[in-house]
Amino acid sequence: MKHLKAINNKAQKLEQAAAEDRIEEVVAMSSVAGCSTTTDPGWEIDAFGGVASLCQPMEADLAGCADPCWWPAQLPDLMTTYPRWYKNGGDSAKDWRELGSVFPDDK
Amino acid sequence: MSDTTSKLQQIRHYLGVGALAALVIGIAPTAMARDGLSILNAKCKSCHLPDDKTPLTADKKLVRISDQRKTPEGWLANIGRMQVMWGVKITDQDRRDLVKYLADKQGLAPSETEGFRYAMERRLNTTSENFEPLFAEMCARCHSGARFALQRKPAEEWSRLVHFHLGRFPSLEYQMMGRDRDWFGIALKEVVPALAKAYPLESQAWSDWQKQRPAANTLAGEWSFSGHLPGKGDVAGVMTVKNTENDQFKVEVKGQYADGGAFNGEGSAVLYNGYEWRGNIKMGNDTLRQVFAAVNGEMRGRMFDKTHDERGLDFAAAQKGAAPRLLAVQPGYIKAGQEAEVSIIGSGLTGAPSFGNGVQVVAVVAQTPERLTVRVKAAADAADGLRAVSVGSISGGSLAVFKNVAEVKVVPAFSVARIGGNGGATPKMEGRFDAEGWGQGADGKPFRIGVFPAKWSVEPFNDQAKEDQDLKFAGVMDAASGIFTPGDAGPNPARKMSTNNTGNLKVVANVNAAGQALKGEAQLIVTVQRWNNPPLP
Repeated sequence: MKHLKAINNKAQKLEQAAAEDRIEEVVAMSSVAGCSTTTDPGWEIDAFGGVASLCQPMEADLAGCADPCWWPAQLPDLMTTYPRWYKNGGDSAKDWRELGSVFPDDK
Repeated sequence: MSDTTSKLQQIRHYLGVGALAALVIGIAPTAMARDGLSILNAKCKSCHLPDDKTPLTADKKLVRISDQRKTPEGWLANIGRMQVMWGVKITDQDRRDLVKYLADKQGLAPSETEGFRYAMERRLNTTSENFEPLFAEMCARCHSGARFALQRKPAEEWSRLVHFHLGRFPSLEYQMMGRDRDWFGIALKEVVPALAKAYPLESQAWSDWQKQRPAANTLAGEWSFSGHLPGKGDVAGVMTVKNTENDQFKVEVKGQYADGGAFNGEGSAVLYNGYEWRGNIKMGNDTLRQVFAAVNGEMRGRMFDKTHDERGLDFAAAQKGAAPRLLAVQPGYIKAGQEAEVSIIGSGLTGAPSFGNGVQVVAVVAQTPERLTVRVKAAADAADGLRAVSVGSISGGSLAVFKNVAEVKVVPAFSVARIGGNGGATPKMEGRFDAEGWGQGADGKPFRIGVFPAKWSVEPFNDQAKEDQDLKFAGVMDAASGIFTPGDAGPNPARKMSTNNTGNLKVVANVNAAGQALKGEAQLIVTVQRWNNPPLP
């Protein structure tokens, strides 16, 4: 962190956690089976065990986040497997209802 | 020899054995096996070529497919992946038959699923995964540990799984635990051998199970069952099972909740691999899925709403006519000095009930082999603790006796609910809670008394949650049932930066335990939808 300076709130909070020696606590936080914990931030839960530091609203950067398959267990990855999942995603605030679960269920 | 030549030779080789294959198929033991094999050959063989190293038989090994063992859900996920990633066209019926064929032929022994059944049972708030750091850091940090722990493969296949992950999800190289270490080297050199050792293709348990797995018709008959549904209470009744054909069943469930509500339904079930029971039971407007392990005259597992898998009950059943069994005592506790009615649920319950020291049977109210209802009285000076309950020579249940409740624990202590609805594709995933009373035994050790009625509420978990007004947006707790309904999906313009209706909440249960006012707490994360929801999380 010698050459990096935190410039926003989230980064400052992480810096503070590091300064207070709470990094271990962050890594070992509780989570439920199937939750992503080490994609930073997680999908369900942030590094502080809450939701305030998540990428939310999740619709905001959805294409940007799903494209590099950032949460492959929670989101369809746009890069390889589901390039068309977000096909009408020009305005996610408006079009989020078009998103669907991707596992092909029995009809 | 070039790859192309090799493949052409393999294809020619396969075509040449077609006639012979048909002959061998003709003597396959069941219609289901024949169907499964022909679907496998029709749908999979064009890519998964027959392995040249194995003997010339109709079910000749297919590259990749043959060297794996999985649960029915594992095979379903596998075929689903082939549909999504490689465009395999398969009808729902063919997919069901193929899952059946593969799960029977290349499944797991009952003992090989122990500790990981939660994933098949869709207990998605499980937090008790305890893997060695090697597996936790490599695999269970993105998906559940059950995903790999319910598979069996040789090292070569585990290694291919690593390559698959990197090829498919390249960003894992720059995620935490990916960018800060030589994860690819660790994955191939350390994790693959460890997986092959912990979860090998060949095992004694599997070869034993293949020899001893019972015929499906041994499950036909009546089953006495007990269960518990958070937010509702205990349930008991009888499930009648008819073996219609092969491994298919017709199922009728007739039961009652402790509050008198009906628990009745009808449906069907399929038995995979001699013990993996999967049923669909229609109850009113809902379809409940049954995921049970049926072993040795007992079925255990979970029944849950197909579209709301968070709504589910623990389920245990004992087969009538099999060895007598005691499944549950409902309710499972009594306060010292008081008299109460309790029921013992099981099968073959004959003989006199006994509730241990300080608990006296006042009267037998009703007795059938499946349910014995008695009035019991706990002495005022009965020691706090658990009593072993028996009926005649049948033991197995327990009754908690307490003077004081030392503590109330809200379970689950940590859980996740998800926003949904509001016109989107995913329903709201509720939070469901129970308030457990715990006592302190005469030995000083804590013991679980049982579930108490509570008055439920939610609070902000911390200052951040207070500042963000999570309580206002994240959802509503039903005070009587302990069922939390999350907020609507979608960005919320009323919140800071239009964030979602998520929240970090404290679940509070106020319990009045026979005159004692107590409070229990848990943490509930209300979070966003999951868009990728395969059969195993």
